[in-house]
Amino acid sequence: MSKPDGYIEIRFGPRWKYISPARIFIQNFIAIAISDQAKADAIAMAASELLENAVKYGASEDTHCIVQAFPETGLITASVTNQATEQGAKEVQALFKKIMAGDPLEAYIMQMRESATRADGKSQLGLARIRYETGANLKLEVTPEHRVTITIEVR
Amino acid sequence: MNKLGIEAVAQDKVKVELVDNGAGVMVKFVGDIDMEDPSILLDPLFEKIHSGMVSKKIPEITADFRGLNFLNSSGIKAIAKWIMKLAMLPADQKYVIKIAHNKAITWQVTSLPTLTFLVPGAVKIE
Repeated sequence: MSKPDGYIEIRFGPRWKYISPARIFIQNFIAIAISDQAKADAIAMAASELLENAVKYGASEDTHCIVQAFPETGLITASVTNQATEQGAKEVQALFKKIMAGDPLEAYIMQMRESATRADGKSQLGLARIRYETGANLKLEVTPEHRVTITIEVR
Repeated sequence: MNKLGIEAVAQDKVKVELVDNGAGVMVKFVGDIDMEDPSILLDPLFEKIHSGMVSKKIPEITADFRGLNFLNSSGIKAIAKWIMKLAMLPADQKYVIKIAHNKAITWQVTSLPTLTFLVPGAVKIE
């Protein structure tokens, strides 16, 4: 991968109130970096969903987000990292595997139907939404210490 | 007051208001739905709307999202939950949810049409 022409790095404690300004900041950064408002909106939505998950399910006071723009190729990457519990890391791995299997729209509709019947307060819709709505390539990394990073790549 | 007798509700950055709309009603969303648990606001509201639509035999409701700048996936879950209620209704109690969307807002173009797949024939995009 070539060197990014621009990047931003955001680090904040797991507080819900910081997600909205982070989303707007990311949206503006991408719109300036690649002059594509629709792509900026889609990636900002995706980053916001990942940040929501990180804050909701994070096990420590640290959520880390890096967004990089590669204007030559039009590639944008966004990574969100947080510390999970062992159980939380296993759950995200299982969910990721389920979401990534099959057609993106079918996976999204299936998750929507499932979420509507969940009684535990979780939606588990974010990843399926990102995959379908952005067409992004998604990657999941989990360290032995249960540090979880989800990266999206959009061209 | 509208046909359903439901008052406007607001929480954080969103306001939801119901108005009469010809033979039907319209539920208008304005602002952002990006709170941690939108179900606290939306689940009871959609339950009231659903009960009212069925009991008063109102044929259609327009869900107007044109003024909604952002909707997180927890908010989508609440809307999906409402739509799924239509699958359980007998044919003579069914009503249609029409979705009004703003093509200038990216998430509305990609997110809202997917709601039509949940219960065949229950949701239409305007």
